[in-house]
Amino acid sequence: MSQNYRSAGSPDNDETVILLDNVSKQYTNGAPAVNHVTLSVREGEFVFITGETGSGKSTLLKIMIHELVPTEGTVRVLGYDLNRIRHGKIAKFRRNLGIVFQDFRLLKDRDVYENVAFAQRIIQVPGNQIRRNVLNALDMVSLSDKYKRKVTQLSGGEQQRVALARALVNKPFILLADEPTGNLDADTAWEIMQLIERVNREFGTTVVVVTHDRGIVSRMHKRVIEMKQGEIIRDEGSTPAETYDDFEDDLFEYQDVDSDGYDYED
Amino acid sequence: MRISSLLHTVGQGFRLLFRNKSYSLASIGTISACLFLFGMFYSVLTNFQHIVRTAEEGVSVTVFFKHGVTEEQIDQIRIAVEEREEVAQVNYVSAEDAWASFSEEYLGEYAEGFTENPLEDSANLEIYLSDISKQSELVSYLESLEEVRMVNRSELTANTLSGANRLIGYASVAIIGILLLVAVFLISNTIATGIQSHKDEINIMKYIGATDLYVRGPYVFEGLLLGFLGSLIPLVVTYFVYNKAVEIITSRYYMLTQLMKFLPVEEIFTTLIPISVILGVGIGFVGSILTIRKHLHV
Repeated sequence: MSQNYRSAGSPDNDETVILLDNVSKQYTNGAPAVNHVTLSVREGEFVFITGETGSGKSTLLKIMIHELVPTEGTVRVLGYDLNRIRHGKIAKFRRNLGIVFQDFRLLKDRDVYENVAFAQRIIQVPGNQIRRNVLNALDMVSLSDKYKRKVTQLSGGEQQRVALARALVNKPFILLADEPTGNLDADTAWEIMQLIERVNREFGTTVVVVTHDRGIVSRMHKRVIEMKQGEIIRDEGSTPAETYDDFEDDLFEYQDVDSDGYDYED
Repeated sequence: MRISSLLHTVGQGFRLLFRNKSYSLASIGTISACLFLFGMFYSVLTNFQHIVRTAEEGVSVTVFFKHGVTEEQIDQIRIAVEEREEVAQVNYVSAEDAWASFSEEYLGEYAEGFTENPLEDSANLEIYLSDISKQSELVSYLESLEEVRMVNRSELTANTLSGANRLIGYASVAIIGILLLVAVFLISNTIATGIQSHKDEINIMKYIGATDLYVRGPYVFEGLLLGFLGSLIPLVVTYFVYNKAVEIITSRYYMLTQLMKFLPVEEIFTTLIPISVILGVGIGFVGSILTIRKHLHV
């Protein structure tokens, strides 16, 4: 793996990259999905958000990527105030994130290479760099020999690795995964988690994984935030949380990816 | 917009057009039908207006004066009439001119037998109108003048021509309006189908950080393309149909050609081409924007 993921322009270590302050989310049916949650994630951390179905863990992740707006509380991610972010800035904000889903969400009519290159084209990486970046990303997930295959010809584990390569090819600051092993058997799930752990360890990418798989969580020995009925009932292995005021004082913004172009650092 | 964004928009726009072939063809077909009818109505209307204009040039009001009215008085009336807005031209025909014209047309050599001018009181003003719909107004004015003995007019022709002109205009606007709505609806459906079939792709784009322009651009371009292509086909068809129609009318209805002169196709197309293209592209743009607002939330 020759890529230098997010070294230039990255925040200094120990900086808080995600901060949720007293965040609540109430759906229109009235039931609170998230209830007064406060948490912070530091740069380079690996965090599991776990809990039973309906505990609010996926809602929390959706709030972090600004797919949902909280009904109460403050959300700051990578220096962006998500309560006040302008619509036109959302794309720019999301270019700093890599997102992986349980159902992979691959483009079924395209091959492995095209699925990964798709992410590069969206942020308008110059054509001559796309091939190199895509092959590097596929190499990282050990799929470079299958780049011409249609994704429908791959196993579930391989498809999730393609999704991971797509999430990583744009070199995100934060990798967010929503039940990434939910559709996989135990061995394949473990392989995927090892891969995500390697990305965190080798490139310092901050990782937030939402899962209900207690087996994986206990084997990984990472920070675990457990939720129940929309509230955090356990936060183990965390570094001391920064306050929201401290976070504001940092005044950093992770904006090396331009809103309408790609400022690529090799 | 960056060149790469522009290339993406154009490339994807073409791809979308070919991916939903049947819907694209239906949309292009409807726009074509709509603009073909527009072209036909426009051609008929323009020709009719041309005929009306030609007829207007020939429609005149003739004013005769009472016995004893002097040439100076008639000249003053002429000046007053010429100043009126609806009047294009006023010709003074003296009693001598009237007799000369009459005798030449109807009497020939027998006219020599007349020693006095039998049309002594026939000095008149021939008034040509620029707007025949105002003929009655002018006639009322003329009849109110003390010196005027009689006013000859051709109100029936004037009213028929201007009435038919208006009717064709209203009918064209109504039919074209309905067809335009149908075309916008069909384009909107085509684009909505495209958006539905790319829902997953659009969803992924959103998470990766695609801008609004990147996601929406191809669909707007698809709409513009549908509209543009839909406007070209009827122009070509109208060109041939118009020429053929004129040829048939000219050869089969010789009498008709004595009454009216058809405009050359080039004269009609000078205006029809830009109007059709603007209408087509406009329909495509409106259709795509409406659909994107409804179905594509980035």
